[in-house]
Amino acid sequence: MDGWRLSDEQLRAWLASLFAGGRRVVAPAEEDGLVLLREVASAAEIRLDPRGRTRWSAKEFLFPATETLFSYTFDGDDVALERPPEVPEQVIFGLRPCDAAGAARLDDVLLVDELYARRRERTTLVSIACADADPACFCTAVGGSPAGTEASDLQFVPLDGAWVGCCLTERGAALVEGAAPLWPAAGEEDWAAVEEQRRAVEESIGAERLPAEWAGVLAEHFDGELWTVLGERCLRCGLCAYVCPSCSCFDVNDAGNALCGTLCRSWDSCGFAQFTKQAAGHNPRPTQPARYRQRVLHKFAWFPLEHGRFMCVGCGRCVELCPVGLDIRQAVNKVATA
Amino acid sequence: MSNRWEPKLVALVCNWCTYAGADMAGTARRTQVPNIRIVRLPCTGRIDPVFVLKAFGQGADGVIVSGCHPGDCHYVQGNMLARRRLSVFGELMHFLGLDRRRLHFAWVSASEGVKWSHVVDEATAAVREVGPLGRWSSSNRNGSTVFALPERGREPRSAPAADEVARVAAALRAQATALLAGGEVSVVAGYERGSLPGQMVPGFAADPVGVEALDWNERCASNLTVYLPELLKREGKIGLVVKSCDAKAVVGLVRENQLDRDRVILIGVPCAGVWEDGHLAAKCYACAEEVSPLADVSLDPASSGGRAVADDPRDAEIAALEALPATERWEFWQRQFGRCIRCYACRAVCPLCYCGTCVADKTRPQWIPVSIEGAANTTWNVIRAMHLAGRCVGCDACQRACPADIRLDLLSRRLANEIEIRFGYRPEQDPTAAPPLTTFLSSDQDEFV
Repeated sequence: MDGWRLSDEQLRAWLASLFAGGRRVVAPAEEDGLVLLREVASAAEIRLDPRGRTRWSAKEFLFPATETLFSYTFDGDDVALERPPEVPEQVIFGLRPCDAAGAARLDDVLLVDELYARRRERTTLVSIACADADPACFCTAVGGSPAGTEASDLQFVPLDGAWVGCCLTERGAALVEGAAPLWPAAGEEDWAAVEEQRRAVEESIGAERLPAEWAGVLAEHFDGELWTVLGERCLRCGLCAYVCPSCSCFDVNDAGNALCGTLCRSWDSCGFAQFTKQAAGHNPRPTQPARYRQRVLHKFAWFPLEHGRFMCVGCGRCVELCPVGLDIRQAVNKVATA
Repeated sequence: MSNRWEPKLVALVCNWCTYAGADMAGTARRTQVPNIRIVRLPCTGRIDPVFVLKAFGQGADGVIVSGCHPGDCHYVQGNMLARRRLSVFGELMHFLGLDRRRLHFAWVSASEGVKWSHVVDEATAAVREVGPLGRWSSSNRNGSTVFALPERGREPRSAPAADEVARVAAALRAQATALLAGGEVSVVAGYERGSLPGQMVPGFAADPVGVEALDWNERCASNLTVYLPELLKREGKIGLVVKSCDAKAVVGLVRENQLDRDRVILIGVPCAGVWEDGHLAAKCYACAEEVSPLADVSLDPASSGGRAVADDPRDAEIAALEALPATERWEFWQRQFGRCIRCYACRAVCPLCYCGTCVADKTRPQWIPVSIEGAANTTWNVIRAMHLAGRCVGCDACQRACPADIRLDLLSRRLANEIEIRFGYRPEQDPTAAPPLTTFLSSDQDEFV
């Protein structure tokens, strides 16, 4: 396999070169003590850390929390519509393989959208494989891997203080053009070590791959008391959906006045009571267990039945951050084996 | 035309006095600066600080609130309540780094056209001096130049011994078994082990299997009272495991007529404090109560004597923030709120956030924009803290739940301190006292007016 073995300095030098040409660089950086993927102004801000995940995923840079679809101005009886400004060319560096896989799940739903597609087209994803896992990780259960390459354009694997990298797409090749020829090639033993590390991390995750048939099994368990037990702890916030790399639900709202305004698209969550509330007042998902069921079944039944894969990449953020400790892994297991 | 900046002010005035006074100023041909837009309201008592925030969020540089003189209120006391509410809000504005001169409060009666024109002139001049408010959003997300809060001092206590907490857990299970077996309660809400190592999560026990899962240790941080309203819809009587801080929220719910106290049996666990990531939670530093005095049944405390306490470390953090120039404080908070993803976990976990429809979900009018960005995030976080002023019991559930690590606890604590100074009130102290922002004294401080 073709690839390179870089030192920290070489990697940083390349990162510094990415800022040329008005490109937006998104990378893990510290803010008030927490590590977030965010736009950075220089390579010095980037955290080159082989361990741990950012607090939430890279979703906001492909599918922004709030995005202007168009703006409008009334002039008498005329309405002038204006398209949002062109999205920037961007590199998202340092996201984990699960985060990159999240982009592929977003693609399944959102690629039909012109704005999303444009962002996606102008984004290069540079993932960093995981050198370890924590107890919330379960990528291997949903078809991922700590060194998964799905949707990544380039990937670097941290290995004993060095970085073993490889190019996965043409877009990735374009990003290292110029730099890569100067990088030392990775040897057979490097790839063997990468493979060994992947196996070790997968083993430490220790999650069995969920059978694909479970989608159908879960779908048959729409009814039942079990959901009440599973969902009664849920306190109706949207945290799990908002930190999730693959959740793609949104709301469309106007922001403006009688003269001008914008039509915006903002994240929404099936955990909110208002998500399904209808204008006349009826709510087809009247209870929190019903909403929790929707979250679980959408990810593990409805979506895979349509797209052939789970709408979950096993990043573990919802498990780690849920204020009341709901664990979607347990819910899926309990319902599927009920 | 010159491009010189002109301040824009929104005046929120009561129908009966100030609006008529402003009318009087007009018919009397008084001249005044043309910088205000008047919004007529039935009474200043109707003015929620979210009105002020909405004005700021939509481009106002200053806000005037004006109503009847004390004793003249058409609704007896609306103006007196407004005075308390907006005085406290003014302090919160200051803590956020917003210049207090942007909010102006005045009593203007229907006959005081002259006074009204003076008020408008003065408020406009004050706002002109402060300058434009500008856009509400974070301009500085750069991690390297941020203001760092002071390091916390030594923790006053160390975590309790494992055998000690195990003894409490066993006593708790025995107590739960007795309550369920005797039919005194239909469910016991407590804690059980979560799926992550060391994680403690809420658990509801209705039978021996459920009781067996109940557990207790120093990581049982969450406040279970948040479940009471929902549980009481389906259960007869509930046993609720409470730490001393949690029980204060029960008092709050009872005081606000949200809970029938007779339907809850509070099981007081002896608590040495809760530990998060190996550190004693900030709220526990100054807490001297091992077992809640409000508990109906208490498990034996671990120790009989007093225990080591220290100053709440947030007070030093608040002081450090207040020592900053206002613009830097504003930057601090804008960076914090800039991270908000509006998941509303803070609201979901709060035992006292029980409104059927939250102000954030109201759409007619839309008080808080749906957009997840600076101005809307600021409005949300500030109004959430403000709506809990005088009600928040300091359990810090919001702070623990926030995935963005926004220092919501500093907002709550600053407001609680302010309310204690002004009104001599801490929400946990007296279950019968009216929340301070729902009452007033004619002797309330007048410096704001």
